[in-house]
Amino acid sequence: MDKRIRFALNGKPVTREIPTHRLLLDLLRDEIGVTGTKEGCGTGDCGACTVFLNGKPVNSCLVLSGELDGAEIVTIEGLKIGPELHPIQKTFLQDGGAQCGYCTPGMLMMSKALLDENQNPSEEEIRFALAGNLCRCTGYAKIVQAVQDAAAQVRASGKTEDRR
Amino acid sequence: MPELTVVGKPIQRVDAEEKITGQAVYGYDLVLPDMLYGKTLFSPKAHARIKRIDTEKAKAYPGVVAVVISEDAPWTHGESVKDKPFLAQGKVRCIGEPVAAVAAEDEDTAEAAVKLIEVEYEDLPVYTDPEQACKPGAVEIHEDFDKYRKADFIIKGAAPNVAEHFKLRTGDVDIGFKQSDVIVEERYFVPIIQHAAMEPHSAHAQFDKESGRLTIWVANDAPFRALHEIAEALGMPKEKIRFINPFQGGGFGSKGGLKVEPIAVALAFKTNGRPVRVKFNREETFISTLTRHEAVVYAKTGAKKDGTLMAREMTIYWGAGAYAEKSPTVCIRGSLPAPGPYRIPHVKVDGYAVYTNKPVAGSYRGYGIPQGAWAGEQQMDEIAKRLGMDPIAIRMKNMFVEGDISYWGEQLHAVGLKETLIKATEAIDWGKPKKAAKPGVKIGKGFACIQKPTRSPTTSAAGVLVNAKGEVTVLAGTVEIGQGCSTILSQVAAEELKVPLEKVRMHQLDTDVIPFDASTTSSRSTYHMGNAVRRASIHAREQIMEAAGPMLETKVQDLGYANGKVFLQDQPQQALPIGEVVRRKLGIHGEVRGDGSYTYEIGKDLDLETGHSDHASAFYMYATQAAEVEVDEESGRVRVLRMSAAHDVGKAINPLNCAAQIEGGVVMGIGSALHEELVIDNTGKVRNPSFLDYHLVTSLDTPELIPIIVECPEPQGPYGAKGLGEPGLAPTPAAIGNAVTDAVGVRVYDLPLKPENVFWALQKKKKDAA
Repeated sequence: MDKRIRFALNGKPVTREIPTHRLLLDLLRDEIGVTGTKEGCGTGDCGACTVFLNGKPVNSCLVLSGELDGAEIVTIEGLKIGPELHPIQKTFLQDGGAQCGYCTPGMLMMSKALLDENQNPSEEEIRFALAGNLCRCTGYAKIVQAVQDAAAQVRASGKTEDRR
Repeated sequence: MPELTVVGKPIQRVDAEEKITGQAVYGYDLVLPDMLYGKTLFSPKAHARIKRIDTEKAKAYPGVVAVVISEDAPWTHGESVKDKPFLAQGKVRCIGEPVAAVAAEDEDTAEAAVKLIEVEYEDLPVYTDPEQACKPGAVEIHEDFDKYRKADFIIKGAAPNVAEHFKLRTGDVDIGFKQSDVIVEERYFVPIIQHAAMEPHSAHAQFDKESGRLTIWVANDAPFRALHEIAEALGMPKEKIRFINPFQGGGFGSKGGLKVEPIAVALAFKTNGRPVRVKFNREETFISTLTRHEAVVYAKTGAKKDGTLMAREMTIYWGAGAYAEKSPTVCIRGSLPAPGPYRIPHVKVDGYAVYTNKPVAGSYRGYGIPQGAWAGEQQMDEIAKRLGMDPIAIRMKNMFVEGDISYWGEQLHAVGLKETLIKATEAIDWGKPKKAAKPGVKIGKGFACIQKPTRSPTTSAAGVLVNAKGEVTVLAGTVEIGQGCSTILSQVAAEELKVPLEKVRMHQLDTDVIPFDASTTSSRSTYHMGNAVRRASIHAREQIMEAAGPMLETKVQDLGYANGKVFLQDQPQQALPIGEVVRRKLGIHGEVRGDGSYTYEIGKDLDLETGHSDHASAFYMYATQAAEVEVDEESGRVRVLRMSAAHDVGKAINPLNCAAQIEGGVVMGIGSALHEELVIDNTGKVRNPSFLDYHLVTSLDTPELIPIIVECPEPQGPYGAKGLGEPGLAPTPAAIGNAVTDAVGVRVYDLPLKPENVFWALQKKKKDAA
């Protein structure tokens, strides 16, 4: 059954009439054509499709479109801060956190979720936060490094803002 | 060699920005205008005759545009044996074999319609064990094997279901064992695992009736070979077929050959010109793409008291699954170096690629090396133990060094093995006292050495364009599967044309415009395509210098070249940027094109009776990896604490990327060592086709990783480079196996080293002691 839903995608309003059982992941990728969010398993096991739903990270393959009316969704396409890359994007570039890049959008969204809550995570906390995001290329070392470096950047920029 | 400015530097990946912003479009992402949605019907039977297929209800379902079965696409394909139908013909040979497919206006319709196809099967005997499948009297899974078209190196075994029998014969093992003071003999087992690249498989196809052209968009790591296979199967001229590669989310060997492509092609002929997308979801990817060969390895090794190896005999049953795919070549190239990187006077190897009713096995990062190493390298430790020798000492005594004649008859050069052994073991403090362990936990160390050939002979060709702005475009058929080839090849072009890396761009892979490349497999790209891009860049540079001569009113031999400029040698201030030369010569839209190609000449082919060849591989990769593990004596749980990995890469074109490749390979190897196993029951059904049940390594499971680069230059390689994509995985399980034995004194012969396997080995030890 089709339902009319309105939500914000990366800050812009979207209106769609779609079957309520359509997954948020498929809505983004096939209907809206925003394909930065990746499908790795479709069953909530790999984290490649992680997006922010009302400020919290979710597996978009486990969210039905029927729940989305009035929601705020942020995908990898909305991670930049204005024209600037988010610190976690910068450190993924610099540290080599992406290889094939398919897990990367989900990995970045989950890393951002961690940094939003904890600007000084230990290695263990980073590994724990990313345990639901599978990567087959990197062996995770450079990803963990990138999150550590991003946390340092976030802390440094926070301090600058405090001084102002 | 002149000083290198870009090559050898730890440069950030050139493809990373598109990936971290979500702009990179992968095969699985692609939405084409007016596209139809495909869905596949898979066989629920492992081995059965098809009695009847009824597609009427599916065809009548509203929104369905096409339904295809084998009659609509009566073609077969296969890399070296043409045994695989586009859609099952007359019988099915594994659960997950594509039987029929539907194209519809949307995904829901396709899914509903495919369920309406009725198929009636008549069961046939199911073989899930390669050793059983080749016992005398076993039913042939491919009763028409002799009629298939196949490559000339295919030697069908005398036993049933053997698609290839590889033989290596050197010296006389009977004599070798008689002369040995100690002999060890054991059976080892390596189970089926899967690549599990994060991007599942998909293909898009479109057939345009007017032009007669077929276009296929697919993340396939050997598009030229796939194109050739489709052309051959369909009897279509190659120029009528075009492959376009979107970004590829990993491969590890799974995305070469044809899997989803034939289904998309079969549908595309029935959709009146509309493109069709066929996606496999994760479960379908698990059961209907490729797996790594399970292997039963019987190994026997003999040595003198002083540790000198005298003889090694190995019999390897490679479980091919339902179709031959790359099994014949995995059997050859995995069996040949299986006795390890050692001088052994008497060697006998028999490799059998055996059909079973399991999912199809194919190439997998390491191409047969991990299976041989799991047996061979554990046996090296066993021999050392029997002789009271240090595991390092026995390997040092026997390992290949520069100039050795290998047991397959090839003189070896650029052998960096010894340095890898020294550095890898030093990195985990070999020989020093072990760390204190918690109660009930034991710590152990172990290592393993490997050699890895590359597919030979093969060709790579490349083009390099320089435009009037001095920008460089590289046309290379190497697929960026995550390994970093676009960065490496950009570095090569930037180095030869002396331009900043930002000026270099890789052209998208499109077989209509990109020169031929054999495949992105076998760790071959840096060496082969690196050479091709280097030659093409030099060719472009030569043309630019030729054109600059008259512009600077001098002869070419008086010109110099640096920093993207041509200059007068005696008046370096008289210089022309390369873009300026192109503009003056060809106009503002002009481009100078350099071409280059590289083929490794193999000389004589492999002798099929002895397995001997004086040039079996363009180069050999050598590596040693060492593990420190802890083993819980109560549960049998193994945890890797740290792992060093020293790899002879010839020359590191990008050390950052080399470390990334090593780390990724090691961690994938740790998964295969400790917990990865595609569980298939005796009806041929995969019991764990999901990431919930098939355990990949997560961020919580990885140890401290110590990648080490060793550079023993390969004279034919670009700047001395060899390859590195695969070997990180290969010695990992054997190194961990040896460390487990060091920790708890028991040896586990069957992978993975999951708690129950280790637990039972510990129980047996207790029982034997009592």
